[in-house]
Amino acid sequence: MKRFDYHVPQSIEEALNLFKSLGDAIYIAGGTDVMVNIKRKKISPKNLISLRNITALKVIEKGKELKIGSCVTHEQLLKDKYIEKYYTALHDAVRKLGSKQIRNVATIGGNICNAAPSADTACPLLVFDTKVLIRNEKGERKIPLHDFFLGPYSVSKDEGEIVTGFEITFLPPYSGSAYIKHSRREAMDLAIVSVATRLTLSPEVDIDFLKREAGEKTYSEFESRLLSYGITVKEARIAMGVVAPRPLRAKEAEDYLCGKRLTDEAIREASEIASSVAKPRDTLRGEAWYRREMVKVLTRRAILLSAKRAFD
Amino acid sequence: MSFNIIGKKIPKKDAPFKVTGQALYIDDVELPGMLYGKILYSKYPHARILHIDTSKAEKLPGVKAVITAKDFPPHFRIGFMKDNPPLKGTKVLSTRDEIAAVCAISPEIAEEALDLISVEYEVLQGIFDPLVAMREDAPILHEEVGSNILKLPWRLVCGDVEKAKKESAYVVEDTFTTQWVTHCCLATSGCVAYFDVNNNLTMYSNTQIPSLAQNEFLEALTALGLRNRRVRIIQVTIGGGFGSKLDTYPYEYIAILLALKTRKPVKIVFSRDEEFFATSPRQCTITKISQGCDRDGRLTFREVEMILDNGAYTSWGATTPSVMMMPISSLYRVPNVKYTATCVYTNNTYCQAMRGYGNPQATFAIESSLDHLAEESGIDPYDLRIINANEPGEITPQGFRVTTCGLKECIEEVAKRLNWKEKRGRGLKKRGVGIASLIHVGGGARVYKSDGCGTIIKMDDFGKVDVFTGASDIGQGADTVIAQIVAEELGVPVEDVNVIHNDTDICPWDVGVHASRTTFVAGNSALFAAKKIKKKLLEILSKLLEVPPEDVAIKNGIAFSKSDPQKSIPLARALRRIHFTTGGSMLMAEHFYDPQNENLNKEFRGNLSAAYAYGTHGVEVEVDTETGKVKILKYVAAHDVGRAINPLLLEGQIYGGVLQGIGYALSEKMIYDNGYLKNGNFLDYKILTVRDVPPVEIVIIETNEEAGPFGAKGIGEPGLVPTAPAIANAIYDAVGVRIRDLPITPEKVLKALKEKNKG
Amino acid sequence: MKREIKFKLNGEEVTAEVESHWTLLYFLREVLKLKGTKEGCGYGECGACTVVIDKMAVNSCLFPVMEVNGKDVLTIEGISGPGEALHPLQKAFIEEGAVQCGFCTPGMIMSAYALFEEKKNPDDEDIKEAIEGNLCRCTGYVKIIDAINAAKRGK
Repeated sequence: MKRFDYHVPQSIEEALNLFKSLGDAIYIAGGTDVMVNIKRKKISPKNLISLRNITALKVIEKGKELKIGSCVTHEQLLKDKYIEKYYTALHDAVRKLGSKQIRNVATIGGNICNAAPSADTACPLLVFDTKVLIRNEKGERKIPLHDFFLGPYSVSKDEGEIVTGFEITFLPPYSGSAYIKHSRREAMDLAIVSVATRLTLSPEVDIDFLKREAGEKTYSEFESRLLSYGITVKEARIAMGVVAPRPLRAKEAEDYLCGKRLTDEAIREASEIASSVAKPRDTLRGEAWYRREMVKVLTRRAILLSAKRAFD
Repeated sequence: MSFNIIGKKIPKKDAPFKVTGQALYIDDVELPGMLYGKILYSKYPHARILHIDTSKAEKLPGVKAVITAKDFPPHFRIGFMKDNPPLKGTKVLSTRDEIAAVCAISPEIAEEALDLISVEYEVLQGIFDPLVAMREDAPILHEEVGSNILKLPWRLVCGDVEKAKKESAYVVEDTFTTQWVTHCCLATSGCVAYFDVNNNLTMYSNTQIPSLAQNEFLEALTALGLRNRRVRIIQVTIGGGFGSKLDTYPYEYIAILLALKTRKPVKIVFSRDEEFFATSPRQCTITKISQGCDRDGRLTFREVEMILDNGAYTSWGATTPSVMMMPISSLYRVPNVKYTATCVYTNNTYCQAMRGYGNPQATFAIESSLDHLAEESGIDPYDLRIINANEPGEITPQGFRVTTCGLKECIEEVAKRLNWKEKRGRGLKKRGVGIASLIHVGGGARVYKSDGCGTIIKMDDFGKVDVFTGASDIGQGADTVIAQIVAEELGVPVEDVNVIHNDTDICPWDVGVHASRTTFVAGNSALFAAKKIKKKLLEILSKLLEVPPEDVAIKNGIAFSKSDPQKSIPLARALRRIHFTTGGSMLMAEHFYDPQNENLNKEFRGNLSAAYAYGTHGVEVEVDTETGKVKILKYVAAHDVGRAINPLLLEGQIYGGVLQGIGYALSEKMIYDNGYLKNGNFLDYKILTVRDVPPVEIVIIETNEEAGPFGAKGIGEPGLVPTAPAIANAIYDAVGVRIRDLPITPEKVLKALKEKNKG
Repeated sequence: MKREIKFKLNGEEVTAEVESHWTLLYFLREVLKLKGTKEGCGYGECGACTVVIDKMAVNSCLFPVMEVNGKDVLTIEGISGPGEALHPLQKAFIEEGAVQCGFCTPGMIMSAYALFEEKKNPDDEDIKEAIEGNLCRCTGYVKIIDAINAAKRGK
């Protein structure tokens, strides 16, 4: 393994200064991608600047917005009841990400900055209209996550800049989300394809009645009724993983669904549109036709699950 | 028959060392002055080597030796057909071909040195498809052989297949294909070689064949000009075998040569990347199968033509057709059989033994085809199997003499536990059930000149027993089973039996840990040695207790008179009495056991094994028809094991086998693209995790095999043999599509469903 | 670059000079000669190198040694008592037949150890979650789950 020096700054300022003075350096958080890339000789930095001892980056703040520090680990996210309840798609994603050992150290910032087309947290964050908070010497800037991803393993950030966290808008009532990862194994696997959806519904029927229905009936019974209630979709978000060089929003499908009544037909149509937007490739991890097909299936399933969760 | 120790769940003897981290695996071995070897592999799957320049590598500080083909004798070859030079000097035939090797004072320096070696190639057109390699105009890969088809013509003909085919009421024909899969031992391959001052070689090794490896390394020493030397193989704790270490490999000869050059211990341990691309997988096969039955469902014939991708060189794995013949000729009663197999050189990785040794590939074809035949004939797949199930006393067309056989019970038990009659053929909720059976060698397998194993036993002054066995332990529990057998026979506690099994300087000859043979062969060897020492012991005890020998019994390390239990003496005291006296003696005994089985003759007939193991697996699956995903709801594995010497370890073999089998069926595949391995890591080569384990139910059928130790037959491999066809058959039952190509991926299932819905 | 680190290893304070590019696994195995922690892949994909850091299971093959500064590290060598006093997990792995070739065993036990640090009474789902990153090729995992359950009862 190539030699490198390892620096452990205690503050963001110290980290920025270190980068400036060292020159040949990269930031490292949990290291589960960086260390692998070094071992596989894909990169050979002279210096690593560790971000994981900077306390400010390790907090989840629940104020007007939800703010997740970039060095929050996946395990931290997984255990967060608030995220599980309100940002369920993100909970879904970290639950099936890597393994316990990986989740214990790998960070959400690392997952996003590594920008793998299969990054599990990317699609959920996209459907929550997440903004990326970036620090440099001049101060802080904020960009939509959607614009942050440039391509595979490439993000809109200068090397010296530090992603400090993610800002997620508070979701209106009757919002529900889901992330479905389609993989061969049930653990330690990368997605063949993945879909996250978020719906904000505007029900025109008695909410309490719907809630009672949800509580009393089995999921499949509720699901079958759900589509007959004539609920209107106020807002829809659909994001897909491993179907393009970067995690992709299916905006056409979102637009289609928005303002529509949530019916089986509408969901199927939205799923078809999402699938037509996807531009997957044949790779050893999955064939393009199959990925496109799966986008259809997973989108439909994720929308239904999101709708159900909107009433949880 | 009641036993004290046989049949008990005795924990594995070496487990305490393994749970504390004290067990030493090959990567844990460190010797004074040890150097680290690394190997440079070919950049291309097929090329001429024009020039190798090692001068820069040699100059790197810390590098102690750099070797190329020139350092080996010019005609030195290894492997089953002696077609594999440890280092390739003129031509490379696969991307795992070894071109040069270095050793240095640290692994890092050795690796750096590899980067400094430059090789000039003339790239040649590669052949990656055995069907292409078989064409007349295909370039010849091994000029000295003169053909890409190996001179190993496998051909078994029993009865008259053509006639039987004409007379059959129902006939089916299918083609099945299987993929490369690899052992994925959690510990990677490696060795440490060193020469003492007399040029005798010691190898710290992972090998599954210490005695054969010793022989092969001796040949190598002779070739290197070191005549009449000694080779000592010391097996470290072996971190997984599954057949992967059933041969010697170039890296071992490279380590030997580096050690000879430097006069220092040289260690080569593979990285995980190397373990994936530079070890030998299970053969991929193309199998054309046809079988038929009469109106009553009695099988009339089975005809199988197989093509095996041998890869670039030939290891023992090229003899897997000898085992494939077994289920083809003898799984279920089938009077007329024809089998041919062609092994073909390609520029792919060369293949080797892997748990089941060809049997999983053959059984996938046979048992899938049998379900097809059931459908064709309108007979329930369960009934078809019962009608044709083998029975004790039968002699199969290939000449196997079936002694014990619990196949029928296995089929019945599995069907019962699956609720077959209720569940089969309903296709409700896209669920279905399937079964498949197996036959495997259960009493050794005579693939070498000897199928034997030696044992030496001694007893010490403290009543303890040391057993020196030729057997190897690769985690399956030979150490424990042998201790149980000896303890049972001698009447001593199992803790008092120490099994030494890892050093050719101390332990007798054994052909190796393969063919599910260790419990049967090494167990019998230990049992007979124990009987011999017991005879001596009883004579001595009869004198000390002043009763006739037949009146003496031993239990828990105490000898006593059966007629007058008051007369007793602790074994330890008795042993000291006869030791510490004028003209004293110490108890020792030895036995070499070679089972009464036969090498296959020129027509490939003969009683390959002294006993045969049977089993049936049943599975209930649910298929997601939108994604093609197959979920296993329930898995039942019934095995005729003769007798369960140690149910704890036995279950471990079955659970482990089943999960490997499920991986083979559903998720594992080495993806080669024009000779390059594309998924050589644990993320992309998908062995199953704990999350993928379905509920597995084990049924143990005991048939008490007379030839086996306390009635036991082998069980090491059978656990994964019928897994894939059982699953494939269940998928067919669930959704009506038959996948004939392993692994059964969601893509294949979905594609087949779409085609079915079209038509 | 040589750096000094201080941390707790198996209950004892350690001060050591390390090269800043080392992984924790390299430091444990090659420098401290603690060979109980195994390297199965080197890429965090098999779990054989699992150790417990501040009560959490971590792949030591990807863990920069510089990050253990000030932390509490536990390896397979550190969980049993003196002499023959094995940890309940070690005993259970022996008795339940959870060990075959044994190469995954230290990592497996350390993952289970971390689970017990987190949950007193884990169910099968928790157990699977805890060891989903530990590959085993021999056992089919069934007896490993049995062993962790037995250790839970025996604690």
